[in-house]
Amino acid sequence: MVTAMTKLVKVIIDDREYDFPAGMNLVDAAKQVDVTIPVFCYHPKMKPVGMCRMCLVEVGNIQKDRATGEVLLDDSGNPQIRWMPKLQTACTMNVSDGLVLRSTSKAVDEARRNVVEFLLTSHPLDCPICDKGGECPLQNQTMEYGPGESRMNFEDKKHLDKHVPLGDLIFLDEERCIQCGRCVRFQAEVAGDDVLAFHERGRDLQIITVSDPGFDTYFSGNTTDICPVGALTTTDFRFGARPWEMNSVPTLCNHCPVGCNTSASTRLDRDFGGKTMIKRIMARQNEQVNEIWMCDKGRFGHHFTRSEDRLLQPMVRAAGGSLSRETWADAVAAAAKLLGDANGSVAVIAGPSATNEDLFTLKQLAAGVGSTRLGAWPPTHAGADLVAKVGVGKGTNLSNLGKGDAVLVIATDLEEEAPIWRLRVKTAHDRGAYVVVANARKTRMDDFADAVTMYQTGHAATAFADLRKQHPEVAERLINANNLVVFAGAEGLTLDGSRALMQACANFLIETNHVGRANNGLVGVFPGANAMGQHYLGFSPEATRDIIANPPKVLILAQADVVADDPAAAAWLSKVETVISLSLFDDEATRQAKVVLPVQSFAERDGSYTNGERRVQRFYTAQGPIGEAIPAWQAVARIAEKLGQGKARLSAAQVMNDIVAAIPAFAGCKYSDLAKVEAQFPQVGGDDLYYGGTSYKNTGGLGVQIASAADNGEAVALGDVKADAVKGDLIVVPTVRLYNRERVFQASEAQLMAARVAAPYVEINAEDAARLAIHDGDMVQVSAGAAQPVKVRAHVNGAAPKGTVLLPRNLQQTATALTIAAGTVTKV
Amino acid sequence: MNILRGFATTFKHLLEEPITVQYPEQMRPFRERYKGRHHLRRYENGLEKCIGCALCAAACPADAIWVEAAENTDEQRFSPGERYAKTYEINMLRCIFCGYCEDACPTQAIQLGHEHQLSFTDRQDAIFTKDMLIDPTAIGVAGTPQQVEPGVYTRSIPDMENPR
Ligand code: SF4
Ligand code: SF4
Ligand code: SF4
Ligand code: SF4
Ligand code: FES
Repeated sequence: MVTAMTKLVKVIIDDREYDFPAGMNLVDAAKQVDVTIPVFCYHPKMKPVGMCRMCLVEVGNIQKDRATGEVLLDDSGNPQIRWMPKLQTACTMNVSDGLVLRSTSKAVDEARRNVVEFLLTSHPLDCPICDKGGECPLQNQTMEYGPGESRMNFEDKKHLDKHVPLGDLIFLDEERCIQCGRCVRFQAEVAGDDVLAFHERGRDLQIITVSDPGFDTYFSGNTTDICPVGALTTTDFRFGARPWEMNSVPTLCNHCPVGCNTSASTRLDRDFGGKTMIKRIMARQNEQVNEIWMCDKGRFGHHFTRSEDRLLQPMVRAAGGSLSRETWADAVAAAAKLLGDANGSVAVIAGPSATNEDLFTLKQLAAGVGSTRLGAWPPTHAGADLVAKVGVGKGTNLSNLGKGDAVLVIATDLEEEAPIWRLRVKTAHDRGAYVVVANARKTRMDDFADAVTMYQTGHAATAFADLRKQHPEVAERLINANNLVVFAGAEGLTLDGSRALMQACANFLIETNHVGRANNGLVGVFPGANAMGQHYLGFSPEATRDIIANPPKVLILAQADVVADDPAAAAWLSKVETVISLSLFDDEATRQAKVVLPVQSFAERDGSYTNGERRVQRFYTAQGPIGEAIPAWQAVARIAEKLGQGKARLSAAQVMNDIVAAIPAFAGCKYSDLAKVEAQFPQVGGDDLYYGGTSYKNTGGLGVQIASAADNGEAVALGDVKADAVKGDLIVVPTVRLYNRERVFQASEAQLMAARVAAPYVEINAEDAARLAIHDGDMVQVSAGAAQPVKVRAHVNGAAPKGTVLLPRNLQQTATALTIAAGTVTKV
Repeated sequence: MNILRGFATTFKHLLEEPITVQYPEQMRPFRERYKGRHHLRRYENGLEKCIGCALCAAACPADAIWVEAAENTDEQRFSPGERYAKTYEINMLRCIFCGYCEDACPTQAIQLGHEHQLSFTDRQDAIFTKDMLIDPTAIGVAGTPQQVEPGVYTRSIPDMENPR
């Protein structure tokens, strides 16, 4: 990172003098001043290896008198330059004072021509059927620097396997691979999942996977982006379209709180009724959010937008009868009538992928009929209000964390709940940040931690409050860190336990003065894409709890699949007289509703989300409409209009203007502000495909981060930590798996990831298993609290601590425990 | 005098065989390179030459071609290599019969033939689908998809020629 402190050095590139911060990579430096040094293996996000030799340049040094330090001049008064005898790989050099670089010369041109010719001797040249053809750095550089003709005897061409599945998601074409090692290095250096390797030598060298199942990582798709040729292709996109046929639409991932900026490549499709369809999703550069990466769930999890069980038409239930299709006008009128007759006994529960616009219109509708009962779904994570107070400071960028800084990850399995945060914390750890992981069980994050502290299941808050006593050396490092970011989840906690933990974290941050500045503060690892939006727009999990306890007459469910998440949902839903469902899918709660309004997914509409770091970001319409579905905010606004609450807005942008006017937190978040972009480093993407990589460029906007209360200089007070723990012989802890069978992932699972989504299972400690006579692989019945018992397979693999069983949520159609509860496990 | 010369010419031509052709009953032979309606060619073994690369569509100045590709398997093989055209359509109302598609094709799959009598009563009928464009197989040769021996047809582009 370039700071004001960094020393500047003078470098001469192609006879012009420039100043660069010392230590900058030569290729990056040249790129900054628009001097192109072609590369294949070098990538600014990884350490240089100098493998491909494409970046050869002439390099020299200005000669200085050793005694005086004076620059020596030649006869004509120019500085004397001592050129290195051979060409040098620019990617392995950093700028230094007096360095002279010639990016083009006869020798350099010749070297590049030879490198390209040599690469092409073993290249299949099947660009016509290659997914990268048209956006391929090898094609571009062959045209730019390569020889015009081949001298290759085609009989001598090496034929290798062209169809090697590295895993379920990625295929390797061994012939196309130019052995740059980017994929191997990405997995080892950036992702930390060392699952690829080189095998054999010379032209026989191939990329192999060393994991079982193959290519076992949540980040595999990124390798296809950075591969400078078409050697790696995704099962999802293979042959989907040619790159020049597609439009690239800026959008967002809606699967987790990271809020990765993505770009959807779209094209008309005959099988999709001739409408525009998302063919692939790729990362879009936002250095503060996801850099240039994204996880495979986001990349491949777009199939739900076109799944079979999408609702196509509004439906209304005749008195005591079944649902029948209606026009929008009739359905809206029916919903308005139900709400108008409810006498104020109305509540809303909104799911985690409802957008800011949806939530705001819902809030207004509820207010219009005299209700302020706004619940957030799922009601598992408390403390968003604390994040609004002491959340990470404006301008936070996890990439800036390094030596002297610290990160605490508590009560969350970051890899499963927010993969890109896990990747970025891992790279912060590599840069020297002190990473502490605290949980009641082992998680993947432990592999990248400097200290792992275990606490008793359910006691996160007290354990953390006691950190200074129990682990003084760890506490010391956190307290004294220059910058401290805390990621707090709610694994193994009740809603009150979650609030207690968030409060303990907030207290610690306030006490140690780690609030109100960039790179310091709290991040809630909440479910879904818009939990912070829910908070700012008045939706809370506590309200949901109250709605469940005191059912209203009319309940609006907005994209909340309550029955699939909560085993108790059927019971509490039955106490609600009327359900109005705004849903994408024909889900269980929708089937019980009186009025069903089909709404659009993120793919078909404009909207905005507020991510876990409180960044408001917008997405654009990518895909053609499905049936008669409309955006949720529009459906809600039409009901409000019918109730005489004022005219419905015409666009999401107008709704955002209303939000900006009504909610102070959203000041400066108009769509035009959210769409602003500025230059980012490294400059990846763009038409020149400089570093390879395909659709990185951000044209849709970087978003705007909402200031925390601490940022605004408001005094933030300490709060009481009210511990709350569940007691019992055996405690069932619901966990989250990234790949699961939620409705928003089912279609992708069916088409691509069937083998990657675990069969329903429960993890039991060996001692408990022995006591209950359960062996690894047995079918067992798990009951937790009041929930219906479920039959799953037992895993006795050392993952669960004694007295605790881990029951992943959403791996099956029947809901399993939503929050921690005492339970039993019996063999069946 | 002049008038006689004029009449002589007239009478000479009167006695000559007329050059008018009674089209459409009669048809003159086509020039070898006449560009008429397209054909999608097959290899002798019945596999389709088209590999669904859409270079023809990219080259087409009239945006008349629509290609959607899919993946071959050895159990269901349409063309050599991994990729084939699942959808291939040419809108004959748009086509200007320039032949750029033919030039662009890496496998010589799309070729403009001699047929030129194209008329439609409906715009929809002007869209020629793959079924209409593809050559029939020779007698005794299987059509596509074919089940083939694994590992034989691994390459999409026919063998390249050595530089001369
Ligand atoms: S597969 Fe791609 S990224 Fe990996 S070594 Fe080969 S060319 Fe490089
Ligand atoms: S890390 Fe989260 S936001 Fe990013 S792509 Fe994965 S699921 Fe989506
Ligand atoms: S002949 Fe010309 S206009 Fe017609 S389809 Fe081919 S490229 Fe297009
Ligand atoms: S006809 Fe030729 S150019 Fe067109 S898609 Fe088929 S193989 Fe490609
Ligand atoms: S050797 Fe420098 S880019 Fe490959």
